[in-house]
Amino acid sequence: MRAQRVRAVARRQSYVLKRAPQRWFDVIVWPVVDAILFGAIGVYFGSQHGAAAASAAFLLAGIVLFHVVFQAEIGLATGFLEETWSRNLLNLMVTPLTEPEYGTGVALFGMVRLAIGISVVSLVALAMFAFNITSLGVALIPLVVILLVVGWSVALIVIGLILRVGQGAEILTWGFIAFLLPLSGIFYPVSALPAGIQPIALALPTTHVFAAAHALVEGHPLPWGQVALGAAGAAVLAAVSVWFLTRMLATFRRRGYISRHV
Amino acid sequence: MAATETALRARGLVKHFKRVRAVDRVDLTVGAGERVALLGPNGAGKTTTLMMLLGVITPDAGTVELVGRRLPGERSAAMEQVGFAAGYLPLPERLRVREFLELFADLYGIPDRRGAVAHGLERFRITGLADTMGNELSSGQRTLVGIVKATLHNPPLLVLDEPTASLDPDVAHRVRGGLERICAEDGTALLVTSHNMQEVERLCSRVVFLAGGRVVANGTPEQVVSHFGSRDLEGVFLHLAEGGAERISDARQVS
Repeated sequence: MRAQRVRAVARRQSYVLKRAPQRWFDVIVWPVVDAILFGAIGVYFGSQHGAAAASAAFLLAGIVLFHVVFQAEIGLATGFLEETWSRNLLNLMVTPLTEPEYGTGVALFGMVRLAIGISVVSLVALAMFAFNITSLGVALIPLVVILLVVGWSVALIVIGLILRVGQGAEILTWGFIAFLLPLSGIFYPVSALPAGIQPIALALPTTHVFAAAHALVEGHPLPWGQVALGAAGAAVLAAVSVWFLTRMLATFRRRGYISRHV
Repeated sequence: MAATETALRARGLVKHFKRVRAVDRVDLTVGAGERVALLGPNGAGKTTTLMMLLGVITPDAGTVELVGRRLPGERSAAMEQVGFAAGYLPLPERLRVREFLELFADLYGIPDRRGAVAHGLERFRITGLADTMGNELSSGQRTLVGIVKATLHNPPLLVLDEPTASLDPDVAHRVRGGLERICAEDGTALLVTSHNMQEVERLCSRVVFLAGGRVVANGTPEQVVSHFGSRDLEGVFLHLAEGGAERISDARQVS
């Protein structure tokens, strides 16, 4: 892997963010909207039971950590989509750039986007609802790492589907994440879901991460069992996503789908 | 060039798309410094062949070797030795010309990317475009920038797909002039597709005609013209486009 090529891809992504105001929606606007929305819901429902601060903290911890998955996934998937929108895919494919170098470059700049997005949602939570995500301590680190892996894995699956079926699959960039939102027990325990879909929720690595985060918010020690389940699920998802993307790329080359992008 | 006399060697390339055999046992060799045109009517299999030669499309059968590097295993190393530009490719909208070229200079591993970009722009006399956004360029300017991109790393092999399609005659003239200079100064081998037969006769020393996915003629322009009994390459092209290829039973090496 050549650092010069990775840096070039990351720099290319930075130009896109700089010059495409609509891209700031994902990085600035949604984090602000989400923090206000879920903070206010937490305060309101909590006030009905005399526990406004605890309720808001529960929801805000959820939305801050959800943005780790969201920003990681959106950063990588839209980074690739940008190449299809600007019909730059063929230009890149006829250079020495390798797939891992491309993915690393986009993911690296995705980390910058993620840092901005998480800072925004955290600062709004702090300023408006006095919720400080860092109060959860270093135990957050393994949770964030697992969520990053999940976000990138979902992005790789989305990219694989775009390679396979074309730009019609780009809606899944946001669609897959929308599925994770209700199923991962971010704002309520999994037991609140209908019994029929609880097994699906429990199979998601994100569900275990958010269960661990809620335990931290409630003042309990980090439940390592949940962390282990989340990490194992994320590892399986990562392996499946790499396998899937590799297969889809081979199909893309074999069937000549580059013709869809020139 | 990496101790090889052959810039490109493809053997037995075959490609099917569903039930259509788009490319049928194509053999193609481009020697070091040689200028070859890949010609044929629409649907002849030119672009599919080019995409297989560049590793973008996987052949169903056959082998490709670029400057001594075998695809697909050595694709990345091979592409360091090849430049590609196509008249139909746009520049990314959100990049200035200089940023676009610097991106590709980095992808080709050029240590002094700014110097390489300045030299490339100067070579085609388009230095004034350096700070223009990609989406503000005319099609002729875009083609010139695409060729600058393809030649930033002084590749031993330059592959061009319809480089002068839809260009005004004066811009096409500049493109051809720039290409001739690059080939003469750097000894760059050229593989080019074009529908402009005069351009081909000016640029290329050998032509390979494809029809129905097969090589139907391979030789100097004069040899091919003479073989088909035509007045010029345009006549050969029209003959093949009107179905002449169907009457040819085997690929012909007319040299």
